[in-house]
Amino acid sequence: MKHSSSPPKLAEKLLKWYAGKADLEDIQGDLDEVYGLSLEHSCKLKADFKYWVQVLSLLFSYGLKRRKSKAAYSSFYHKNSFAMLKNYFKIAIRNFSKHKLFTSLNIFGLALGMCICLLALSISVSIYQSDEFQEKKDRIYQLNTFIETDDETKTFGSTFPAVGNFLKEEYPFIEEVVRFNSELNLEVNHRGNMMNFSGYFTDPSFFDTFSFQLIAGDPKTVLSKPFDIVITEKVAEVLFKDQNPIGKVLETDLGSFNITGVIQNLKQTHFFFQMLTSYSTYEQMRSEHPNNDWVNYRNNYVYLMLQPDVNNGQLALALEQTAKKASQFNPTKAIEIESIELTSVVPRWNISNAIGIGWDEPSLIFFMFVGLLVLLPAVFNYTNLSIAQSLKRAKEIGVRKVVGAEKFQIKAQFIVETVLLSVLALIGSLLILYPMKEEFLSMIIAAEVLDTSPSFAQILTFLIFAILVGLFAGIFPAQYFSRLNPIQTMKGEIINGKSSVSGFKKGLFVFQFFLSLVFVIGVLAIVRQYSFVLNKQHGFESDNVLTVPFEGIDKKVAIHELSNHPDVKVITTSSDLPGLFLSNEVKATSNDQDTLDSYQVFIGDDFVENLKMNLVWGNSKELAASNQNEELVLVNEQFLKSTKVFNLQKDSLRFTLEDGTRCRVAGILEDFNFEPLSQLISPIMFRYAPEKSHYALLTVNSSNIKRTINELDAIWNGIDQEINFKASFLDDEIEEAYYFLRVQIKFFSVLSILAITISCLGLLGMASYTTENRTKEIAVRKIMGATNRNLYYLLTKDFIKLIMISALIAIPVSYVFYDKLFLYFLLRYGSGLGVLEVLAGILFLFLVGLSSIYWQASKVTKANPATKLRYE
Amino acid sequence: MKGYIGEFEELVLLTIANLAKDAYGVAILNDITERANRKLSIGALHSTLTRLEEKGYISSYLGEPTNERGGRRKRYFELTDSAVTELNNMKALRDQLWAGSKVNLSLK
Repeated sequence: MKHSSSPPKLAEKLLKWYAGKADLEDIQGDLDEVYGLSLEHSCKLKADFKYWVQVLSLLFSYGLKRRKSKAAYSSFYHKNSFAMLKNYFKIAIRNFSKHKLFTSLNIFGLALGMCICLLALSISVSIYQSDEFQEKKDRIYQLNTFIETDDETKTFGSTFPAVGNFLKEEYPFIEEVVRFNSELNLEVNHRGNMMNFSGYFTDPSFFDTFSFQLIAGDPKTVLSKPFDIVITEKVAEVLFKDQNPIGKVLETDLGSFNITGVIQNLKQTHFFFQMLTSYSTYEQMRSEHPNNDWVNYRNNYVYLMLQPDVNNGQLALALEQTAKKASQFNPTKAIEIESIELTSVVPRWNISNAIGIGWDEPSLIFFMFVGLLVLLPAVFNYTNLSIAQSLKRAKEIGVRKVVGAEKFQIKAQFIVETVLLSVLALIGSLLILYPMKEEFLSMIIAAEVLDTSPSFAQILTFLIFAILVGLFAGIFPAQYFSRLNPIQTMKGEIINGKSSVSGFKKGLFVFQFFLSLVFVIGVLAIVRQYSFVLNKQHGFESDNVLTVPFEGIDKKVAIHELSNHPDVKVITTSSDLPGLFLSNEVKATSNDQDTLDSYQVFIGDDFVENLKMNLVWGNSKELAASNQNEELVLVNEQFLKSTKVFNLQKDSLRFTLEDGTRCRVAGILEDFNFEPLSQLISPIMFRYAPEKSHYALLTVNSSNIKRTINELDAIWNGIDQEINFKASFLDDEIEEAYYFLRVQIKFFSVLSILAITISCLGLLGMASYTTENRTKEIAVRKIMGATNRNLYYLLTKDFIKLIMISALIAIPVSYVFYDKLFLYFLLRYGSGLGVLEVLAGILFLFLVGLSSIYWQASKVTKANPATKLRYE
Repeated sequence: MKGYIGEFEELVLLTIANLAKDAYGVAILNDITERANRKLSIGALHSTLTRLEEKGYISSYLGEPTNERGGRRKRYFELTDSAVTELNNMKALRDQLWAGSKVNLSLK
């Protein structure tokens, strides 16, 4: 009885773990003896309980504590000696140079894997440092508005514009208030060409508050009068190449603006503008009653600069009172106004209507996640390969252990090695990244504002990242090696050094190939979408349609002259090109209560007929018959579907626009994709107004299109020499609208190339390891008469099995991910994922994988068995 | 002031003196449990033993491995000279106090 039961294992372990290196022998003996005694008197459960109590009492006892601290200070366990560290490095470098293939495979793999992460990190570092250069950054705050209504609760980066004046008047501790309105979108007429620029309306105090430098102009006066405008260096270069822009006049759709200053290009700031114009311009232009200043919070931003040495309590109190005031004007909303320090405006977690680009943390995290997804296989490679190498290093570890190395010292060796390797990989990665960086940054909106050039913070982040990667990659091999039994390793037998690949390694392997496959299928799927959208009829005729932007030409004359050309079959006009994104929105109401946001397109004669759009009902010819009282319009089916939800008493085909125009539907168009296929079909109304159109759409029928265009150009020049003739085919314009798909293709291609390369490096390493370990076996097989085919089969079958497993997992995952999620969001009316893409992806990966195994296998099978028998 | 030993420490020292050559952890524990009828944990006992060792009243040595206790050695404790002096001092103080007592301390 006494010998059959032993004390609770967990308690023993706990004690051992807690005691660490302290000498426990006598105490454990005491415990066992007491346990034995109590077993004689009582049942096992009770004895176990008593044992636990004893162990717990020991954990808190002074005796054990004392023994522990004694053990820790003994000279034998001296941890951080410099000589030892030096030795780790020495051995690491020797080991690298001894196994050149493995080292370079690992460095290359990790370097590739780190690329995307480094890019994400450099962007994050840059974003987190936004506005650090502002001299008065400690005193500047952005006001955010927390608004709670019945159906939503949101924090807006914007606030009511009236808050600015209110605070300035009521609270003397606020030194400056800067208001912004981000609705400045100018269409500048630049030598007959229309160019779009965006920017802010802002107060003259902008230059007192923020440290943006003017290259030309006086910061005190540049924004003092209405229609004063300041442009950035970049815009100045585009518009006035060699001239001095100061004093020039910009002719725009909003009127003439006087250029009073040039501001340096934006760098490291959360603002994003091409132009700044005075806030008084905004006040002069808008039609709303000033009372709206307490109601409209969208696109309006207020920044405060406090007097020096003002405490935050004062500001909080002031904002509370301001919010109360704002609530009076917005009775249905609960409003709070918060202040955010200038340097923490970006990145934020979830802010609606943020100023500028509005960098947010979720997208940074997503970017980093994608990077880690690529890095992970590389880390797995390292783990796999270094464990595979254990055969070669086992003896070294055995000797170390016999001489007296502790577990942690063996671990330290491997950790130091891996960290060194990953720092080398970091350098390699930067070399790979350098030429790719520009290309990548060009895919990110407004990346030019970010300063991703090397800085101290960036280099530090990179180093910390590399060290973390090293620790992560090294921890598993280190754990594995430190556990090896010295006696067995000295004899040269390792239980784990079998020629087959262990289950864990197989799992990592499958994961890598799974990932590569998902990326490859992603590339192919998007390429398929791309060719789909280019070939698909959007619901109108786009072949042989030539588009000519009017710019500033006399439209009537141009239409008349161009239609006289024999190759031009018909000509029509439109304000927006079909197949491209729409922007011109209008509010329509059919019952004076509910308004519907609809796009409006101004069309000319025969627009519907020429582009072969399908009318469900009505007649498009009637459009021109509009009169003063009633405008006749065409709408799409979606428009009517959307108005159905309203409570309509009157005729559903009549509605009023926000400017008071009364409209009647004269015809209904069948729903079609006026916008790119990524957009949901939204309500659109077509209004007859040739004078408001921007493009002439010419249906041409020509045997020599070049000649026709040249002739049209000549006609155009005959009308107005100032304006360039810029004809392009509608199909090409539509293709251009799918730019976002090309970006995606590029992005996924890079990812898949990285992932595949990394996986293949891993495959290569594993294949070379297994074949090397089986050299003798293969030699024997050869001598016994195995053919090359048998040998190839033998060497490749394991890997092929693994690739097949990963394909089996990848197919359903990529189907769900791409077909149901990704492609759906990318392209609402796309064609989904095809079987062909999936098969092609698998085949491609198979070939790539197989060729890298073949390379290694052929080395062994071609070798002379007689010499190889002496190997090992 | 003479070197201070607490009541429990005195008890442990005297127990070690009683056990002589057999004074190791469990023996001391059992002896105190039986004689003084106290519940005592190994942790508490080892705390006291460690303190006494630090104060220089006891010394310890590891015995030979035996078949009991899974081959684990026992740690034996023995009194040092200073412990003997201290115990004597304590006894002398007590005797003096007993002798000088003006109240009759004998049990009826």
